[in-house]
Amino acid sequence: MTAAPLRPEAPSSRVQRETVLDAVDLKKHYRLKRGLFRADATVKAVDGVSFALQTGRTLAVVGESGCGKSTLARMVTLIDPPTSGELRFDGRDMNAGTKAEAKALRRKVQMVFQNPYGSLNPRKRIGTILEEPLVINTDMGRAERRERASAMMAKVGLRPDQYERYPHMFSGGQRQRIAIARALMLNPRVVVADEPVSALDVSIQAQVLNLMMDLQEEFDLAYLFISHDLSVVRHIADDIMVMYLGRPVEHGPKETVFAHPRHPYTRALMAATPRVNPLLRQDVAPPKGELPSPLNPPSGCAYHKRCPHMTQRCADEVPPLREVDGRHVACHYAEQMD
Amino acid sequence: MPLLDIRNLSVEFSTRAGTFRAVDGIDLTVDEGEVLGIVGESGSGKSVTSLAVMGLIANNGRVVADRMDFDGRDLRTLSERQRRKLTGKDVAMVFQEPMTSLNPCFTVGFQIMESLKVHENMGRAQRKRRAIELLEQVGIPAPESRLSSFPHQLSGGMSQRVMIAMAISCNPRLLIADEPTTALDVTIQKQILDLLLDLQKDRGMALILITHDMGVVAETARRVSVMYAGQVVENRPARDLFTHPQHPYTGALLDALPERAIGKRRLPTIPGVVPGIADRPRGCLFNPRCGFVQDKCRREAVPLFPDDGGSARCFYPLQVTGGVAA
Repeated sequence: MTAAPLRPEAPSSRVQRETVLDAVDLKKHYRLKRGLFRADATVKAVDGVSFALQTGRTLAVVGESGCGKSTLARMVTLIDPPTSGELRFDGRDMNAGTKAEAKALRRKVQMVFQNPYGSLNPRKRIGTILEEPLVINTDMGRAERRERASAMMAKVGLRPDQYERYPHMFSGGQRQRIAIARALMLNPRVVVADEPVSALDVSIQAQVLNLMMDLQEEFDLAYLFISHDLSVVRHIADDIMVMYLGRPVEHGPKETVFAHPRHPYTRALMAATPRVNPLLRQDVAPPKGELPSPLNPPSGCAYHKRCPHMTQRCADEVPPLREVDGRHVACHYAEQMD
Repeated sequence: MPLLDIRNLSVEFSTRAGTFRAVDGIDLTVDEGEVLGIVGESGSGKSVTSLAVMGLIANNGRVVADRMDFDGRDLRTLSERQRRKLTGKDVAMVFQEPMTSLNPCFTVGFQIMESLKVHENMGRAQRKRRAIELLEQVGIPAPESRLSSFPHQLSGGMSQRVMIAMAISCNPRLLIADEPTTALDVTIQKQILDLLLDLQKDRGMALILITHDMGVVAETARRVSVMYAGQVVENRPARDLFTHPQHPYTGALLDALPERAIGKRRLPTIPGVVPGIADRPRGCLFNPRCGFVQDKCRREAVPLFPDDGGSARCFYPLQVTGGVAA
């Protein structure tokens, strides 16, 4: 049995980066009922995020829990429609078309979840799990599906004799390989990975990161890589977007942002990341307090209550996202951050 | 005399598939006021070790040791009653998941005051005062009003602070923190680690910090033990361990960190997985995954060889220059 080429239409030229997915001012607001006698509240889970995903490149979204990174993933994968803003895939509005068009688009944007113990159905064999997207979305015959599934298993480093096995027979790292294989079954162009390695041990994490980079190169995939771990992000990303309470606070090429972060929150995140190398360690106090409630965000800059550089202006004015020194940053005093 | 002195501790569990040795003959000593880090991946036996010290191993587990002394008292011969007096008072523990380790049915205040009642014999008003004081010490704002909060009303970081307040309520001499920050965000992680270290310094407590995160131990512990498949494979002061690891496993684990691979596209990996119940290899437990394996490693079990500054369980330790660590 020879493996069918999985991606015959893959472009040969790697130099030409094209934008696959464009997000313009995405917002997702949730209304929250608070009982009979209180007015509904609005949670601005994501409040104005714009980015462009390019083939063969990785955009990492970084932030702590509650910053809106998972909500963003749900919008990009068309699980939840945005409250406002536009998502364009190859220049076409993803949320404007008919149901059939939306279904076709969903095939092109796939997702890998955080917990490989929860994201695979324990009652299904690996082969069935991998073939399921094909059963639902294509009219391939049984033999062809099996051939595709086996070929994909080989690509992610699983043996063909594992086809009949159940998820519990695999380790965490192998399960995450299966989850990645499943996401790639429909030849997507964009893969959204929500904390794909944070449940894994260091040595296994390295294997999965390597695999993801290899697959990206082979299929020219665009990754939206969501993570809280800056050292992982530094390794895998091309661009990085740091989010805080639903808004991007710093967004730009990885090298620029890491070499010289200009938002106090980015700096705090970097300082708080534990380092093995004492030379890389920054002995800076972590930001005071915790993430404010998204139900009742602070006035002005959302970070001002925790920020060491805070002034009256930060409490009054929302800092716009503006270009400073090769990246976009939302801080009134970005120029002074040295 | 060390505060905690453990020799040749093994913990076995009888399972349907046979007897599984989760901890395999480890030695552990902790001095008064010392910070010991234990690092290992999942399945290395680091949590089971701490549970054994706390006397919290379930009925299907068997704990054997040549010596298990805490402050000169033999933990093996203590009665259940005496043991319970010690656990929670002189030896306390902070668990991994703050959200699930607190009892959801009782208020924070009740849970902190419970141990004060049991161990310290305090009156009601005194307990309440002490609980407020403890919450203040662990950095919880408005401690008095927090006493009547239920765990679900707290964030993860706050819950972990409450857990720490409970653990230090009876002035323990040894605090075991098992992955205390794994479920938390990085900025909160930093806050909690700083808090643990401040408390440790102020009170002269001994602290055992168990984690899978090399960065966390590197930043907190003075002495580190690396565990693999139930054994300690390397003991070393932290600054030497991270610059000159001697055991190939330690070296490979450090190399797999993205932090160390800046500029490299591919991360070095360790092939294979930690051996489980069915596939424990002969000889060195790391030999199937080791890049420097020799015939001898496959045949003979390896003892811990002392070297200057530490010890490593390897016949062919990595050289200071060369090997994977260079």
